[in-house]
Amino acid sequence: MSDVMGTAISYTPQIIAQQLISGLNSDQAAQATLEQQLSTGDMINKPSDNPAGAADLMQLNASMVRSQQYAANASDGSGWLSLGNSTMNQILSALQQARQAVLSVSGANLSNQPGALQGLAQQVSSVRQELISLSNTNYGGQAIFAGTGNVTNAYDQNGNYVGGGSAPTRTVAPGVQVAVGVTGDQVFGSGTTGLLGSTGVLAQIVQDLQTGTTASLNSAATTDLQALDNATTTVTSQAAQMGANYQRMQTFAQQATNTEQALQAQMTGLDSTNVAQVSTQLTEAQQSYQSALWATSQLSQESLVQFLG
Amino acid sequence: MGDLALNIAASGLNAQQTAMDTISENLTNANTPGYISEAAQLTANPGGDLLGVGDGVRVVGVTQNTDGLLITNAQQSRAVLSQSTSLQQVLQGAESVFPEPGSSGISADLASFWQAWDGISQDPSNPAPRTQVVDLAQNLASDFQQAAEQLGNLQSNAQAQVSSQVAQANTMLRQVASLNTQIAAVNGSGSPANALIDQRNQLMNQLASSIGAVGIPEPDGTINVGVNGVTLVQGSWSDTIKATGGVGSMSLVAQASGVTIASTGGEVAGQLAAINQYLPAYQAQLDATANNLSSTVNGQLAAGFTATGASGSGYPLFQGSGAAGLTVNAAVVSNTQLIAASSTATLPDATNNGGNAQAMAELFNAPTGPDLQYQSLIQGLGSQVQAVNNQVQAQTSVANAAQQNLQAIIGVNTNDQMVQMLTFQQAFQASAKLISTVDTMMQALIQAS
Repeated sequence: MSDVMGTAISYTPQIIAQQLISGLNSDQAAQATLEQQLSTGDMINKPSDNPAGAADLMQLNASMVRSQQYAANASDGSGWLSLGNSTMNQILSALQQARQAVLSVSGANLSNQPGALQGLAQQVSSVRQELISLSNTNYGGQAIFAGTGNVTNAYDQNGNYVGGGSAPTRTVAPGVQVAVGVTGDQVFGSGTTGLLGSTGVLAQIVQDLQTGTTASLNSAATTDLQALDNATTTVTSQAAQMGANYQRMQTFAQQATNTEQALQAQMTGLDSTNVAQVSTQLTEAQQSYQSALWATSQLSQESLVQFLG
Repeated sequence: MGDLALNIAASGLNAQQTAMDTISENLTNANTPGYISEAAQLTANPGGDLLGVGDGVRVVGVTQNTDGLLITNAQQSRAVLSQSTSLQQVLQGAESVFPEPGSSGISADLASFWQAWDGISQDPSNPAPRTQVVDLAQNLASDFQQAAEQLGNLQSNAQAQVSSQVAQANTMLRQVASLNTQIAAVNGSGSPANALIDQRNQLMNQLASSIGAVGIPEPDGTINVGVNGVTLVQGSWSDTIKATGGVGSMSLVAQASGVTIASTGGEVAGQLAAINQYLPAYQAQLDATANNLSSTVNGQLAAGFTATGASGSGYPLFQGSGAAGLTVNAAVVSNTQLIAASSTATLPDATNNGGNAQAMAELFNAPTGPDLQYQSLIQGLGSQVQAVNNQVQAQTSVANAAQQNLQAIIGVNTNDQMVQMLTFQQAFQASAKLISTVDTMMQALIQAS
């Protein structure tokens, strides 16, 4: 009897059952993987799905988070510089008023008109007060002309610089830092050539106008005016510097956003599920699973036993 | 004539019945693990008749449809598969310790941590961003601690599994030795010990899966059991094995001989590989990454100054050694002004200077920093899991094929048994018919006389 089995491999019900089970298992595993890819939207759900890809993703993600921060830094810096620019414009127009006052002295002989001189002196003095107030402009509670030396104030009410250190910077790209302000002493100068101090240019003008002698008025119209123009030139050049930094901030902000998008696209390419492709594969896997189930229900019932009375 | 014919027919009835018993036994045990299908061996009886007519049929024995080579093949391929499967389980466990790539893993937490330093630099005198840095540092420390703890759990679970596998294997080795004794005794008495052999076969299947044991048949019907050349069962004698050594050097030792067994298959071999190589390597890499984070951050802090102008070298953010020991300096937690965010010691600048915090933020993805070290840990782990997954897949088909080849010989084929049943049934009916025919012939003779 055993000769009957000699030729072809004999398929016992156990072999068939084992084949069906392993077929069903592998179909189900394939389906589960595809379903996870669809439900998470990611091709790489654990390191072993694609080890090199997983490492790349982590690195890209770190770079992307960093780019977001560069963009946030640049946006914060733009806020500072935008406020700085408008403050600079106000400072320049106030200086223009002071200059007009001094010019009006040089044209007329006002030495015998103490009232008019007092009025002009008052005008310059209030310009000085306005400038001191502008010099303490705050962005989010931080004085923009104080450098790192003082949080809230750059100048005290007597026009003395109370800031210090250097202007804060923002990191806007790897290794690139842009200053978000200028220090008060750079803008307003210091000592006798400075604008705000008690011995500074504006105080000198006020004093000369108040003195009211021909010599002092003459000095106001020549030396003081020259000193005022020099100081104004310094303010203008600092304003230009701030304007340039603002432009740089904008450029870097755009650049950081572009980088972020490029990194995002790269990550998407690496990780994102191709929905059309995976859906098709899932449909195929489901069909194959269903056929396997059907085969299981059919085959395991059939044997000679059924046909023997 | 009638006497002889009746005897022959009677021997036919007996033989067909024994054959039928065998088929019944096969069908009943079709799903019994380790069962080897049997066949009744029939042979014609030589007769004393001068004309050469034989003396019917007899059953010389019930033999097993077995093939030692195929059994060994199936056991060995199963041992290899079990080794990979048990390693796969541990490695997949290690993989799930690190939820990467994702938003909740160490990698994402590192990115948030670096990012937070720019928050300090934007507003150095504000305590809020400083507190955020400390919170994120504590978050990272707990990430590392948890990962270390989970790897430690995997390690102790694997060791517990080895102990329980070894205990089970020792019981089975004793059983094999005891079955050897019984089989030798039954064989000695001249009758086959099929049922005992089936039991021993099943034990050997389990021993192969658990410790990669191989059986070598002996002429007396016993088998010797060995693992990689170390004999554990010989005849009725059996040795016990035990696991010795700690992490990195854990191994199996045969107790009687004291010989170390270089385990090359079975679940225990996979677990030992995880215990000695894979898990310690992951733990070491995780520790190195934690130390790297600590030294990178503390090193940068040492270059800066606190809000009161003190050197940052006295106020490290991270303390402790290794992933499990990583903690955040309690002094800095209670006073965030001690974070050396300033790049100047001059007061009052130091209070409002974020230069060093800016430099810290730029340390993300540093070539020798913790980010890249962690990425290489994950990539290595992922590659190893992927490799063992592929191995398991390939070895599963090998083991299945070996099992099929074996089943084709030793398994019970229902259709085949049915056909044989019909054949024996017909032969039985023919013998019965012959008896009634001889009876009729005798009746005729008696009536005629």
